[in-house]
Amino acid sequence: MDESTEDLEPLFDYSRVQPVGLIDLEDEGDEQVLPEVVKGKRKSDLTPKVTPQGEKVVKEQKKVTHVIDDDDDEWLRPPPPTKVFNRTQDLNGDKTLLELRSKKQELASLLQSAEDVIRAAEEAAKKELNSSKDAVLESETDKAAKPRVERKKVVISIQDKDGLKQFRVYKDDKLEKLFKMYAKKVKVNLAKLVFCFDGDRISPSATPAGLGLEDEDMIEVHIK
Amino acid sequence: MSGIARGRLAEERKSWRKNHPHGFVAKPETATDGTVNLMVWQCTIPGKAGVLNRAGEEKYTDWEGGYFPLTLHFSEDYPSKPPKCKFPQGFFHPNVYPSGTVCLSILNEDSGWRPAITVKQILVGIQDLLDSPNPADPAQTDGYQLFIQEPAEYKRRVKQQAKQYPPLV
Repeated sequence: MDESTEDLEPLFDYSRVQPVGLIDLEDEGDEQVLPEVVKGKRKSDLTPKVTPQGEKVVKEQKKVTHVIDDDDDEWLRPPPPTKVFNRTQDLNGDKTLLELRSKKQELASLLQSAEDVIRAAEEAAKKELNSSKDAVLESETDKAAKPRVERKKVVISIQDKDGLKQFRVYKDDKLEKLFKMYAKKVKVNLAKLVFCFDGDRISPSATPAGLGLEDEDMIEVHIK
Repeated sequence: MSGIARGRLAEERKSWRKNHPHGFVAKPETATDGTVNLMVWQCTIPGKAGVLNRAGEEKYTDWEGGYFPLTLHFSEDYPSKPPKCKFPQGFFHPNVYPSGTVCLSILNEDSGWRPAITVKQILVGIQDLLDSPNPADPAQTDGYQLFIQEPAEYKRRVKQQAKQYPPLV
């Protein structure tokens, strides 16, 4: 058995795979493209070189890919500075042209501000008309916005006499929210439920972080 | 040696936090300054609730409704040696010494103890013992004699004791 696993190791060298996975976990979303690029390049690297020397080559290739990535960033960055340079050049050059441009910009900004005022007025009117609808929309956008902020979550089990149910909640959220959700789920009046950890009753205003709750910690629920 | 005992106890605690039988409590002692002593655990054993009999009727035990405090004292030789399990002094039960120490085969180093027995198993074992005493191994005269000679009075005392230890929450 041991020999067979040893045979497998050079084929699937996890030491090379793991770092990519770790990066994936840490940087959600924004840099998802990066690992894919690296993977793609690696596959092409791995196929021709099966010998142990291949590792060295791959490492060098990694460096190269990083350099390329850096280059990509520089490719994207330049535009704003060049615009600034153009303006300064204009300053040194034709002054009348510059004056005309600034006037044009002033007029444009005036126009924009006027449009903004009109829009704002329109929106205000709409809000007044559909205040209830807007409220719903706002709460929805709030919910959508929250996950973007990095808040730590924790999995908590709630145990009743029949078994365990697991919930994922924010570490800094009041447990009241979870209790209400649970009461709804089991269709029992929240006032009749007592939640305990380590034999102590949990206050609804307590948070998982405040109680030092860790992943998969269990809360007991008793029915009065 | 202490490393083994503490390592095992840390694992026991970790697994307890994730899952344990309903109504039980088991937590290492915490000093007033917040330091945790893994060698002494404060526990609660709920009296056994009703069991369904063959007719589907719930048969209540006289221990139900009581939440009995139990302290586990682990030695540096744990888990080679079992912990000492103590109810409050004078606890009424045929197999509990006047000092409160529980007399149970799985807690005896020379008979039933095995290092693999978990805290969970100890506490459930003691809960079982509460409602089914072992007359072959008496540890106190009061509880033993009433159990053997005056079942009605024994029952009354057990129910009375359960009321003395109401739920903590």
